[in-house]
Amino acid sequence: MSALAVQVMTGLAYGMLLFMISIGLSIIFGLMGVLNLAHGAFFVVGAYVALSVLRGVHSFWVAALLSVLVMATVGLIMERTLLARFYGDELSQVLLTFGLAFIIADVIKMIWGARLQSLPTPSAFDFSFSFGSVVFPTYRLLVIVVGILLAMLLWYLERHTRMGAIIRAGVDDREMVSALGINVTLVFAAVFAFGAGLGALGGVLGAPILGMYPDMGFDILVLSLIVVVLGGLGTWKGALVGAVLVGMIDILGQAYFPSLARVLVFLLMAFVLLIRPAGLFGRRGAVS
Amino acid sequence: MLLMLSLPLFAPSSITGLVTEIFILALFAMSLGLIMGYAGLVSLGHAAFFGAGAYTVAILSQHVSNAYVLLASATLVAAGLAAVSGALFFRSAGAYFLMLTLAFAQVLSSAASQAPSSLTGGSDGLNVTVALNLGFGEINSQTGLYYTMGGAFLIGYVLLRLFVSSPAGMITRGIMDNELRMRALGYRTLDYKLFAYTLAGALAGFAGAMYTYFNLYVTPDFLGWIFSGEALIMVIVGGAGTLLGPALGAAFFTILQNYVSFYTDYWALVMGVVFVLFVLLGRGGIVHIFRSLWGMFFRTGPGGSAEPQNADDRTIPSARKGEMS
Repeated sequence: MSALAVQVMTGLAYGMLLFMISIGLSIIFGLMGVLNLAHGAFFVVGAYVALSVLRGVHSFWVAALLSVLVMATVGLIMERTLLARFYGDELSQVLLTFGLAFIIADVIKMIWGARLQSLPTPSAFDFSFSFGSVVFPTYRLLVIVVGILLAMLLWYLERHTRMGAIIRAGVDDREMVSALGINVTLVFAAVFAFGAGLGALGGVLGAPILGMYPDMGFDILVLSLIVVVLGGLGTWKGALVGAVLVGMIDILGQAYFPSLARVLVFLLMAFVLLIRPAGLFGRRGAVS
Repeated sequence: MLLMLSLPLFAPSSITGLVTEIFILALFAMSLGLIMGYAGLVSLGHAAFFGAGAYTVAILSQHVSNAYVLLASATLVAAGLAAVSGALFFRSAGAYFLMLTLAFAQVLSSAASQAPSSLTGGSDGLNVTVALNLGFGEINSQTGLYYTMGGAFLIGYVLLRLFVSSPAGMITRGIMDNELRMRALGYRTLDYKLFAYTLAGALAGFAGAMYTYFNLYVTPDFLGWIFSGEALIMVIVGGAGTLLGPALGAAFFTILQNYVSFYTDYWALVMGVVFVLFVLLGRGGIVHIFRSLWGMFFRTGPGGSAEPQNADDRTIPSARKGEMS
């Protein structure tokens, strides 16, 4: 029983990490039509940047903050220089980001080396607490809490801010939003940077649990894609539900049906798509 | 042409081996090129079919030794997978389709990796001891393999050429250009797309099977999306709108992979940069470069300086506004 509880908690934590990376992918695609196959890079490079920062500064949180800011900036630069010219030509964007993903993986190898590394759990949370007979690692609980806070923040942004309304409108009808005189370029850039930063946050928070290695961007991307397809494009709710589902099934699957874990995730996705081709919360034309 | 025919007779064995490998990968790339350039389906999971063919031969060869049976089974397995996955995934448009194919390949790769070692060799892969015997003795010399793979490549090319010039092929291309119009004309577009996809899957499986005979080793990497992505790179770099473009891309990729890794560990970086450059410059790959050069040097007649914009000269036609959403 206690083992199950720990697995569930780990699954939730993993799901929250997936949420952080997938939300960027989902909103960016829903709003801008950009399927960024290099999105996993924000997650991984974010973790590596934090690693480097930690060599000089000995605070996990400072490292996390700096990493998020750096990756948000990188995302901004990436969007402005490389992707902006291909709006409308979505295939080229996919190909471009795909090539970038390869390049980035090798650049990581060049700068930080190819072996598996990880970040130390921040000392404030590096303990477990017991709840009856169950022993929980506190850090995972923290990750879950951060995820919930993020979801609340996104809910608030979506419902009660102008930016949220613009994004919701943009996901529904991009041309109309720009016809209304809203500076779409600025919105796109901001959303992209935000998504990149969130991905980095996920990477940094995840590093004490998942570690990091140069090809991790690819692995995370695959899971993110499944989350996004499952949850629906352009919606943070979809990313949240999808991520939690995928996270739980992946972790519980690995614990109880190790040889079936990934297959289960895929089956879930296929099942959902059969009954709702646009994903659980998706609305944009995903059906041909 | 003559060069290719006589290569093994004078080239060092490393080069012969390289070209043999290129033949197989070219077949794989061409099959992806078919669905991308003629059916407008961009897939990041095509390796699933290649790997399925490869694993079928690897696993079955432990029980069956008839090469024809093995090859046929591999092709059928791959074709079956293609038909099933195509039927399931075609309901989803562009980007969703891409993501589904990617996930599909990954699932197969994970399945192979996590299946009991006795069956698939797990994540370490499976060593295969099988010799290609087409009825006139075992072919396991380098030269023999070279000609066999070259033959396989030619067969595949002819098959593709036949399809593309057939009415079915034309219709498929019409579907790529404008599916709604074709549907309005009364064509069952799904059937044509499925046929092209299954054909491509079958050829990829055949290539995978051949690769097992050549490489004598299979691993889950042959099923995954990264290998699929490499095929995608081959198609784009070589030129997506033509049949031979992807073959050239395969040659380019394999040669680069082999020679750059001599000098640096970071050949993926180099390949990535080259690929990105090709995408940024937006041309039809190497084929387009060749055509332009040819046109520059051998301009004859009143053709003018504009390349005729026939179907063969484009990059993937679905790279148009709104097509992927």
